Amino acid sequence: MARWCGSSSGASMSADPVALLAAPPLVAPLLTAHDIESGYGKVQVLWGAELAVAERASVVLLGPNGAGKTTFLKVLLGLMPAWRGTITFAGTDITAWPSDRRVRLGMAYMSEIGVFTALSIAENLAIGGQFAAPAALRRRLEALYAAFPDLAARRSAAAGSLSGGQRKMLGIAKALAGSPRLLVMDEPSAGLSPLFVGQVIAILRQFHEDGLALLIAEQNVKFLDLADHVITLEGGRTGFSGSVAALMEDDQLHRAYFGL
Amino acid sequence: MLVHALLGGVIYGCYFTLIGLGLNLVFGVMRIVNLAHGDVLMLGAFAAFFLFHLVGLSPFIAAPVVMVGFFLLGLPFYYLVVPRLALAKDAEMLSLILFFGIQQIIEALAAIVFGSSERSIPGRVLGVGPFHFLGQTLSRAWVIGAAIAAGAVIALYLYLYHTRSGLLTRAVMASRDEALASGIDIHRISARAFAIGLALAGLAGVFAPFMLGSVTPAMGVSVNLAAFAVIIVGSLGNPLGTVAGGLIYGVGLLLMQTYFSAWADLLPNLLLIGVLLARPTGLLGRRVRLA
Repeated sequence: MARWCGSSSGASMSADPVALLAAPPLVAPLLTAHDIESGYGKVQVLWGAELAVAERASVVLLGPNGAGKTTFLKVLLGLMPAWRGTITFAGTDITAWPSDRRVRLGMAYMSEIGVFTALSIAENLAIGGQFAAPAALRRRLEALYAAFPDLAARRSAAAGSLSGGQRKMLGIAKALAGSPRLLVMDEPSAGLSPLFVGQVIAILRQFHEDGLALLIAEQNVKFLDLADHVITLEGGRTGFSGSVAALMEDDQLHRAYFGL
Repeated sequence: MLVHALLGGVIYGCYFTLIGLGLNLVFGVMRIVNLAHGDVLMLGAFAAFFLFHLVGLSPFIAAPVVMVGFFLLGLPFYYLVVPRLALAKDAEMLSLILFFGIQQIIEALAAIVFGSSERSIPGRVLGVGPFHFLGQTLSRAWVIGAAIAAGAVIALYLYLYHTRSGLLTRAVMASRDEALASGIDIHRISARAFAIGLALAGLAGVFAPFMLGSVTPAMGVSVNLAAFAVIIVGSLGNPLGTVAGGLIYGVGLLLMQTYFSAWADLLPNLLLIGVLLARPTGLLGRRVRLA
């Protein structure tokens, strides 16, 4: 068990975030994961992880390297099998679904790499919008190009020719091309300078305000600016689940993630 | 003599491009080596043989029939074999063993069913008389084979670069993991690529009686060797790079046959060894793991 778990104040701790979110009846959970166990081969990484993302919510999954964040996200997207537990999206049990069906239902995933470097910007976006009808995709892409002017200027350039920050922007645009209801991101800050981290957060905020739900796995606490709910993951187990303010109030958590 | 060897080499090389094309597409998408590729070609050749001698179908009609038939057989075969294979730890190695076994089975069954005698289709069914070009006289079968191959390359290019399914295919080729993460149905795309690979092998097979001489159940092995030389010289995993490999192979073969005819059969081995030593990623090298 994580060193800070079980010792924080009872109100902010929740063994079952699903139940916690179900309490205010207006906020329907978009994505839930209950008692998830998974791993690679015989190595178990997740030991009963829990998570809920409400419609239009923004959740940051906070945890150190090796805590199982990437594994958890991959299980949520169907890129790795869940050994046990259930996952629902928009009220449907998707635990056994392959990833393409989950994407079709409105989930989008941005991996740490996030783009096809060998393909052009326009091709990357077309892949992101593969399930959209042609006319809707065209409209969506124009909207995205308006939001990402750097990409619009170089549509036929290979994604591999972009800088790290631009690639991250392309990864976001690609994930959004299919007009998802939920964007799941694995460490969007990885390899980015603080300046670009700020830009990424700004663009995500813009789409979030338009109704996009976010689930972001991060160890960069800057992303808490964007969060209305924080879940911590350590040693493959989710611990704290609550608002950013509650996290700040908790001395031990505060020390663990912000230093002093 | 040199001009003839070069020109003939380019034209003959187009056909070798066709031989390697399907194999390279399958490797590019699935990172699986279809060692039975040459035997699928052999089956295409026998299909053309029987369609001609039993039903009287010209190879030009047999070609689309064989392609559609092989494509439709390829889809269920893919789902039967490959998804399970992909679960294995070292799928690349296991695919070699598995497809080697399949290759042996196809060859043995073909020998039992068709017999081991040499079969051929008279060359006149493709039309009579050679072509003349740049003052050279060229075999009619070679020119037709080259035209068919060029058509297949163009069709594959149009598929890969101008259809949605082709874009997703290139995405899988570029990065399997990212393709999965992007919600691409990898198995549907791969099954399609696998089936197209078989259809292309079948197409090459239909014209094999005119390009490679008589047809026997044992021809698959040497065809495989040629196909491997072509795609490794071109670049593994890049279907359109096959063209470079095919042309180099064709020109090399004709030069060898013209000047060192006794040594010509060594060519695929020499090319393989030479390229693997000098540029292991192929002449148009992209970084892929060599199986």
